[in-house]
Amino acid sequence: MTMKFNVLLASVAAVALSAPVFAKDLTVDLSGEPSSLDPQLQWNPDSYYVYRNIFDNLLTRDNAGEIVPQIAVSWERISDTETVFSLRDDVVFHDGEKLTAEDVVFSVQRITNPEFGSPQLGQFNQISGAEALDDVTVKLTTDGPYPALMAQLVKLSIVPKHVVEAVGNEAFNAAPVGSGPYKFEAWDRGISVSLVQNDAYWGAAGPFDSATFRAVPDAATRLANLQAGTADLVVGLDSDGAAQLAGQGSVQVLSAPTERVAYLGLNLDKPPFNDVELRKAASMAIDNFGITEGLLGAGEIPMAQLASPAHFGYEEKIDPWIFDPEGAKEIVSAKADLAATPATFATAPVFDQRIVQALQQMLNDVGFNISISVTDMPTYLNIVRSAPEENAELSFGRWSCACQDADGITYPLLHSDSAWSRVSDEKLDVLLDTARVSLDPESRQAAYAEAHKIVRDNYYVLPMYQAAVLYGASSDLTFAPTANESMFLNRMAWSE
Amino acid sequence: MCAAILAPVLAPLDPDRQNLLGRLKVPGFESRGVTYWLGTDELGRDIFSRLIYGARISISVAVLSVLLSGIVGVTVGMLAGYLRGWWETVLMRLVDIFLSIPAILLAIITVAVLGPGFFNVIIVLTLTRWPRYARVAYGQTLSVAKRPFVALSQAMGGSVPRVLWVHILPNIIGPVLVVATLEFGLMVLFEAGLSFLGLGVQPPTASWGAMLSTGRNYVATAWWIATFPGLALFLLVLSANLIGDRLSDTIGKGR
Amino acid sequence: MLIFLLNRLFQALITAFGVLTLVFFIQRLTGDPTALLLPETATQEDFEAMRRTLGFDRPLIEQYFAFLGDMLRFDLGKSFVQNAPVSEILASRIPQTLQLAAGALFVAFAIGLPLGGVMALMRGRWLSRWIMGFVLACQSMPTFWSGIMMIMVFGVWLKWLPPSGTGSFAHLIMPSIALGLLSLATYARITRSAVVDELGRDYIRSARARGVKMPRLVSKHLLRNSAIPVISITALEISQLLAGAVIVETVFAWPGLGQLTVQSVAARDFAVVQAVVLLGALVTIFANLLADILYSIIDPRVRLGSSS
Repeated sequence: MTMKFNVLLASVAAVALSAPVFAKDLTVDLSGEPSSLDPQLQWNPDSYYVYRNIFDNLLTRDNAGEIVPQIAVSWERISDTETVFSLRDDVVFHDGEKLTAEDVVFSVQRITNPEFGSPQLGQFNQISGAEALDDVTVKLTTDGPYPALMAQLVKLSIVPKHVVEAVGNEAFNAAPVGSGPYKFEAWDRGISVSLVQNDAYWGAAGPFDSATFRAVPDAATRLANLQAGTADLVVGLDSDGAAQLAGQGSVQVLSAPTERVAYLGLNLDKPPFNDVELRKAASMAIDNFGITEGLLGAGEIPMAQLASPAHFGYEEKIDPWIFDPEGAKEIVSAKADLAATPATFATAPVFDQRIVQALQQMLNDVGFNISISVTDMPTYLNIVRSAPEENAELSFGRWSCACQDADGITYPLLHSDSAWSRVSDEKLDVLLDTARVSLDPESRQAAYAEAHKIVRDNYYVLPMYQAAVLYGASSDLTFAPTANESMFLNRMAWSE
Repeated sequence: MCAAILAPVLAPLDPDRQNLLGRLKVPGFESRGVTYWLGTDELGRDIFSRLIYGARISISVAVLSVLLSGIVGVTVGMLAGYLRGWWETVLMRLVDIFLSIPAILLAIITVAVLGPGFFNVIIVLTLTRWPRYARVAYGQTLSVAKRPFVALSQAMGGSVPRVLWVHILPNIIGPVLVVATLEFGLMVLFEAGLSFLGLGVQPPTASWGAMLSTGRNYVATAWWIATFPGLALFLLVLSANLIGDRLSDTIGKGR
Repeated sequence: MLIFLLNRLFQALITAFGVLTLVFFIQRLTGDPTALLLPETATQEDFEAMRRTLGFDRPLIEQYFAFLGDMLRFDLGKSFVQNAPVSEILASRIPQTLQLAAGALFVAFAIGLPLGGVMALMRGRWLSRWIMGFVLACQSMPTFWSGIMMIMVFGVWLKWLPPSGTGSFAHLIMPSIALGLLSLATYARITRSAVVDELGRDYIRSARARGVKMPRLVSKHLLRNSAIPVISITALEISQLLAGAVIVETVFAWPGLGQLTVQSVAARDFAVVQAVVLLGALVTIFANLLADILYSIIDPRVRLGSSS
């Protein structure tokens, strides 16, 4: 029996091992499958990791984070609201048709059409007009002066007008045709999406004959796949998971600071955090350095403003938080009754529960009375977007606008018009409005510097750190993670 | 059991006390004169103390949810089996409906509507498990109700609750108890499963399921986090099942 | 027989309708998915616009009747998260779920039944105790734990099996075992007690007294007469396997209905949730019906209709 069993296992093992290995193919394990492959629909990492390789964008960011040409080779602002782009004329879609200015215009009109219902509408609806001046020239018009236009256009993928109009939106999503370095090959629903290299790509297409993006929801399983060699690149690691990879020659851990800023949101309309002294005490109770170094340790950088060095509008001169639990205790003990008001800390399973628990402990240590409430993501989002009286007293978030501009993070979290914001400060509103429409970088920078200072002085929100992203990769793979968490196959290489 | 009740006396340390400098330390680790006999977890908390406090949560979740779902299920099952007719159709279809709704859906809905927490975990488990008791109680009641003493009691004008309580319940309780002990073990596992999906008892409260589901991410680097609660859980479920077997053998012989 | 079937069918329809109605309304108690679909920078106007696009601005009762209308036309609707027809999504998942359920049932049957038989026939001996220990162990481990342990041992350290995913027979082995363990224990126990019951019956005793050999008894009488409890538990087990697959499918990245359920419930992908629940309800109902019919074939003493 035992003998037979061993033979059986050995033969199974032989089957598993003898599976042909193509050194040139890449397997990436994501945490979920793409929601859509139509780049103008869903906008979440699992989707854009994949479709950004199928499509070219009007502009892009290089690995250093600078905005550089892609489909547009140059651009010129001809008035406060009008910009003219010159396009490459050597770009063809995967079906062989040439990419022209008409396609760019169509792409803009499609994503800004409210009836199309793109979730990304809010990022592009400042664009009021798109016009093809000739085959390789496009003029975009905005509602008013819009300084973040270029940062948004980095996310505008160009879709082929003739294909979308011929097959319709649903079929296009199921079998997308782009002009990018990789062509769509197959979508096994729930399992994986596979791409093959586009031989006719106008630029560098990277080293892979094909690439497969698989959906592997459990982080422990993704790590196991990497260690077993069945995946070359995995996402969604934390530093403790990365530690599991340490000392193994065949794998490496890659990390980069991102444009996500982690913060502790406070409900300013409810006790205890309607009291500025107690908010100050909370800021003193939190050991930011302990969290970033002791707990996270992946290169996170403590921040005292809602921006990071990866953003336009980051201000170097904002004072860091002061960790002083004894001082915090003193403030709290003077207002012990108010501080002891039961407060709820809303969070969801996707956030790092280690941080949430550490924060709770630090705050309770100085005399607050905080309990954690984990709900699933939609419930959490409903709670943090609700009116102040129904809202939780505390929430932990990691905000990304994918635009690397302070506008995308300060406006939603601090402006009184925004559903996410619990702040209502007229002076702050004016600064944010000014910075939003000014085309002069210097006056924008000055406005943000002042805004950060107001937030810091009033403890409206407690920014914590610039988040880092960790990837596990096969040690043969060369890949430079970027602040906008992109995953361009044509910027990777095999190190052999 | 004893450990669970005496937790505050037995546990050497505060189970929620974190120590970010002493994370993921091996069993026997000493720091500032304190020995962490079973090591520390991902936030530097004492695993031994958490294990003891976790026993309270895991056992009380299982006991309460078995009790609640047993009471609801048996009541529904007895009513359906005794009253027959429309009652039977309506109640048993209700049982079918609840059996068909995925537990995960009920769990998320409970958390979304009532919020998360210890009691809501019990509500989730009750909502998902009562139909099983209802089935057993229904089948048993059908056969007991045919016996002469029930008809006699009815003829003498016994009210429905009285007949159910005095005549039917004592005769069907055996098989229900067997189911309950087996369910007890399952409930411990279910609580762990809810923790794995992020819908369990709220952190930082220790439960074996929560400890195990975090610990599984550390199997290669810090085996002790998951091993000890895993072992405890295993022994608890094992003893529940053994009791269930003993009970079912005894009842089987009695028949 | 026909009346019995029609009656059951009618009741099944009522149940399915009840499940759908209940799921339709309680799902919507938990809020809509707009916030998940929109990027973090979306404004209140974007929210309203999205709600209109998805039809959530209409009165609930209107949405309900529209939904019933679609159901009557066998239109399962469209997933607004995956941007694809629900029927297409289900079609891709069902084969995976069937494979896994079949694998798990095979594990449970092929190991559970013989173990149960051996335990009954060798009652009181050490072998039986060891088997009981093994069966209890199978029953006492959370799958998210046993799953990752298997992956680490067989996938990472020994490299015998692929850690996760689909595509070959080798991929199916670990998830089937992980999912089958609990059912294995159930089958072993049921078989044991059924065989023990049968062994105590008069006909077996007298047959043994007449000198009929044990193997002949097992094949001729025991198997058939112990089959009823096994079949009735299979009906329950099948729906249990579909539900229990949630965690196994998550751990092994197995793209079946269980994973789809978790993901679509979490994403408030209403149409998909409704379809999955409906499917589950139909499977449960028909598995029970099938079990009832099988009883009457195996044991003519059971008359259809008497139990309903």
